[in-house]
Amino acid sequence: MLIKTINAVLAVIAGVGGALALFWLLNRLVGLLPGKWEDRLKPYVYIGPAFLAISLYLIYPAIQTINFSFANADSTAYVGLDNYTSLLGSAGFRSTLVNTLLWIVIVPAVTIALGLGIAVLADRLRPRAEKLAKTAIFMPMAISAVGAGTIWRFVYATNPPGEPQIGVQNAIVTGLGFDPVNWLQISDFKFNSLELMVMLLWAQVGFSMVLLSAAIKGVPADTLEAARIDGASERQIFFRVIVPQIRGTIITVFVTVTIGVMKLFDIVYVMTNGDFDTNVIGVQFFNELFTNFENGKAAAIVVMLMIAIIPIMIYQVRHFRTEEAGR
Amino acid sequence: MRRKKLFTTLAPITAVALLTSGCLNDGGSAQTGSGSGNTSTTVEIMTGMGGGLLQAVKASLDPYAKEQGITIKWSPSDNFNQLIVTRVQGNNLPDIALFPQPGIMKDLAAKGKLAPLDDILDMPTLKNSMTPGALEVGTQDGKLYGLMMSMNVKSLVFYPKQAFESAGYEAPKSIPELLALTDKIRSEGKTPWCLGIESGPATGWPATDWMEELVLKYGGRAKYDDWVTHKIKFDSPLVRQAAGTFEKIAFTEGNVLGGRKSISSNNFGTAGNPMFRTPPGCYLFKQGNFVAEKGIFPDDVVADIDNRVGVFGFPPATPDGENSIEGGGDLAGLFSKDNAAAKKLLQYMSTKDFGTAGAKMGSWMSPHKDFDVANYPTNTIRDIAKIAYGSTSLAFDGSDAMPGAVGSGSFWKGMTGWISGQQSLDQALKTIDGSWPAS
Repeated sequence: MLIKTINAVLAVIAGVGGALALFWLLNRLVGLLPGKWEDRLKPYVYIGPAFLAISLYLIYPAIQTINFSFANADSTAYVGLDNYTSLLGSAGFRSTLVNTLLWIVIVPAVTIALGLGIAVLADRLRPRAEKLAKTAIFMPMAISAVGAGTIWRFVYATNPPGEPQIGVQNAIVTGLGFDPVNWLQISDFKFNSLELMVMLLWAQVGFSMVLLSAAIKGVPADTLEAARIDGASERQIFFRVIVPQIRGTIITVFVTVTIGVMKLFDIVYVMTNGDFDTNVIGVQFFNELFTNFENGKAAAIVVMLMIAIIPIMIYQVRHFRTEEAGR
Repeated sequence: MRRKKLFTTLAPITAVALLTSGCLNDGGSAQTGSGSGNTSTTVEIMTGMGGGLLQAVKASLDPYAKEQGITIKWSPSDNFNQLIVTRVQGNNLPDIALFPQPGIMKDLAAKGKLAPLDDILDMPTLKNSMTPGALEVGTQDGKLYGLMMSMNVKSLVFYPKQAFESAGYEAPKSIPELLALTDKIRSEGKTPWCLGIESGPATGWPATDWMEELVLKYGGRAKYDDWVTHKIKFDSPLVRQAAGTFEKIAFTEGNVLGGRKSISSNNFGTAGNPMFRTPPGCYLFKQGNFVAEKGIFPDDVVADIDNRVGVFGFPPATPDGENSIEGGGDLAGLFSKDNAAAKKLLQYMSTKDFGTAGAKMGSWMSPHKDFDVANYPTNTIRDIAKIAYGSTSLAFDGSDAMPGAVGSGSFWKGMTGWISGQQSLDQALKTIDGSWPAS
């Protein structure tokens, strides 16, 4: 323990000291150059180490992943587009894609709608009640996905008919005199996927509510006054005055949640591990890599995911730029 | 100028730190295992065991070590399989490892990391005393590398003793008799089976145990081994025969408590507990011996286990035919081949009386068929041990020995999909065959 502690302290000193020394040294080196060049090169000297680190830890692995996606299971020989064709050709992966798409369509939209609704309604409460309501809704944010899985297991749990039901939903259903339902196995109309989405919404609505609530409070009161004087109804005020003014925040939340949903793994893994037709891309990737040892297929899944995320990223960057320009 | 001073003092410190941190991170002793002439009397034993089982093994081994002047350094680990591989790569080996499954042990034996035990142990005596098949599990290329030193049994069917006997039922002697008993219980308006395969992200493994059981009973040990190595495919008459029997038991209306639909949402361990209600929710429950312990069976049942719980071995296909059973155990492998202390411990572990102290605690069973069953604390454990000792051979869990992509991937998922009605048996078997890694 003592050795480990000393090690950690030494590592911190070495890291910080090393970085200091490096910048100091580079600064000195640039300082030796003639005046004009010093000013030209200095920014690059300061940005260089960070950029190198990003290249090493992000860009290089990304390129390597693209490379591996054209190789076989243990990355020893190239197989061309086989990984892509066999993935896209398998019915299982296609239904995984459909599920993921469903998540992308439903979750961000509902997160925004609920978050916005709660934010507006909470805004009308008395300050103390507003705090209480917001705290309660924000709370699940602090719970890890695996913890959420444990909690929701007690909502969806199913025991055979006639047994005591420890699941909340089945306790209600059997209390009303019906047979218990195997909630997570109902794949008709993707019902079980929807149930898993409810879990993610439960965990994320608080996040969108807090951001949107702050944005709504930032809407200048005089614009609302003006609208009221002009005889606008409350609904018109909300959709034509408030929403346009908090558009930036809505887009930011939407993009963040969308990217989160695309990478979704933990909730589905913990609850069903993709059984009963609830599989999503993140879980499939995990199983290809760590259960099937299929490096090639796992890499191909990641590449597809990267390609799918690029347009959203571009949109996000552009949106950010227009925001900045508008300030 | 001042800045310069700062730099000159910092530089040596950082250099020293960078140089030393690489060597200090080791934390353990840097002794190498095989081939080092290490004569230390401190023996490190790595194990994946935990809980009562580890306590029992310690209780059996520690007094002997003390007597011999050997210090045992126990290194228990929850993720033994990953850790042992890491330690082998880092050449930081324990002296002895107790492997929970033969797969990794055989890999390491093939790589020459483990020492063969044939010259160290008294093989003729061992061959006569071990449960049939237990030595084969740890054998690679005709040499013994893994000595089974603890045993668990999976081919068991538990029943609620009093209700079962007062209804006049008898333990079946063959699979047809088992099916007849099932029909009889159902025709009397009761539910014969409790069955559950839910296990979080590992859902499906108890169903693979059922399939392994039936393949083993119908095909015998030789064909079972061929199936585990994919010489016999999943899409084959043998596996279909096994699946057909499982289907008869599990999918027939009224055979399973909660019906076919509830199987994949019913927990593998607690699924059997309705047996102990009055009247019993079911009369038969197939599961490994681990369920007969505190934490799975209800506490009041475990406290009075001999009166409340009965158990019989899953019957063979024909009454007097081959009767292999499915089970498992921990295999002791030796890394430090020149270490006299480690050898002594292994020799002691291979004696038939090893474990008399630990057996009393009720979690550990000996793989020696001439082990005195009076050492076990309850009749239930005695019965379980006798089922194993009387079998024609002990076969290791098949899905554990299959490649991971099948054994903990498509086989679990295929069975879950088939049982919950998401896919047909045809689709499931073909998918499992297709997922077998090509090599």
